Amino acid sequence: MESLIIEATEDSPKILFDTLSNRFVISGESRPENAGKFFTPVINWIIRFEETLSQRKQEKNIDLPLVFVFNLEYFNSTSAKYIKDVLLIIKKFVDQGYPFIVEWHYDKRDDDMLDAGNEFSDTVELKFEFVEY
Amino acid sequence: MTNTSIAYEFYQFMTEKNVLIAFTGHFDHLVTTSLLKYVRVKLKEVNSDPAIDRKIYSILVESIENVSKYSAKSSNEPIIAMLLLCKSDTHFTIITGNHLLNSDIPILREKLDKVLKYSPVELKKMYREQILSQRTHENSAGLGIIDIAIKSNNQIQYNFKLSTDDTSIYLFQTQINIFDK
Repeated sequence: MESLIIEATEDSPKILFDTLSNRFVISGESRPENAGKFFTPVINWIIRFEETLSQRKQEKNIDLPLVFVFNLEYFNSTSAKYIKDVLLIIKKFVDQGYPFIVEWHYDKRDDDMLDAGNEFSDTVELKFEFVEY
Repeated sequence: MTNTSIAYEFYQFMTEKNVLIAFTGHFDHLVTTSLLKYVRVKLKEVNSDPAIDRKIYSILVESIENVSKYSAKSSNEPIIAMLLLCKSDTHFTIITGNHLLNSDIPILREKLDKVLKYSPVELKKMYREQILSQRTHENSAGLGIIDIAIKSNNQIQYNFKLSTDDTSIYLFQTQINIFDK
């Protein structure tokens, strides 16, 4: 499956889902004018990625960890709902036995962003690795 | 009174209240983006705590989105929306104001009162319920207000000022303390 790359804009985050390095990064600021229009292709890509995972499993090529990175400076409440949707899919993959790691990056001075990460982790019942910068 | 004396009074008000932003007009996405860019620069000038800057930024975005969700879109009145950001020694204040239909007030009042009486623990519970609920066009507005309440330690006030027989001005204020995070 092809990698997914969407460049950041003033109001939407950068998406870099790299199927070669197995790093899937959402970074920047997220308050798109139409959150549905922005996130739907991103979420559809992740849903379709299940086929690739299943293929790799058959080829016994699934040992490497798959790292999902949230490195967000800011996201609005509408984006929060879509971030939850992304996390629920990753949760499903983890439950199926795929070795996903979720990294939540945050500025060490930004307690709200750390709280948001903890809240998402509890809500979707998925362990995060917290990375401060 | 001459125009220049009105301007002088306006200038005095802006200075005394330490107004960082005063805007009236139509909040479309482009205007919001420009305002937010300016806010970033301005906050760096007047405040040295990036955690507070981000809190203000976040509450501003949700407050502006709150305006567009609760505006009297269908009425013939022009959409007059207002945004104020002021700073005192101890806190920042964000105020939005916009017209809404009087018939929309009871539901909004009920939503706001519910949020205002909740403790931090109850707010987090509400946030979780909302974020897990099915997405519709309107329900993320509730999530925005809850988010503002959590980030400001629930320092929210609101008011409705009757404007015409059919509409009122909805004023929504949040205070962000400078010393508690």
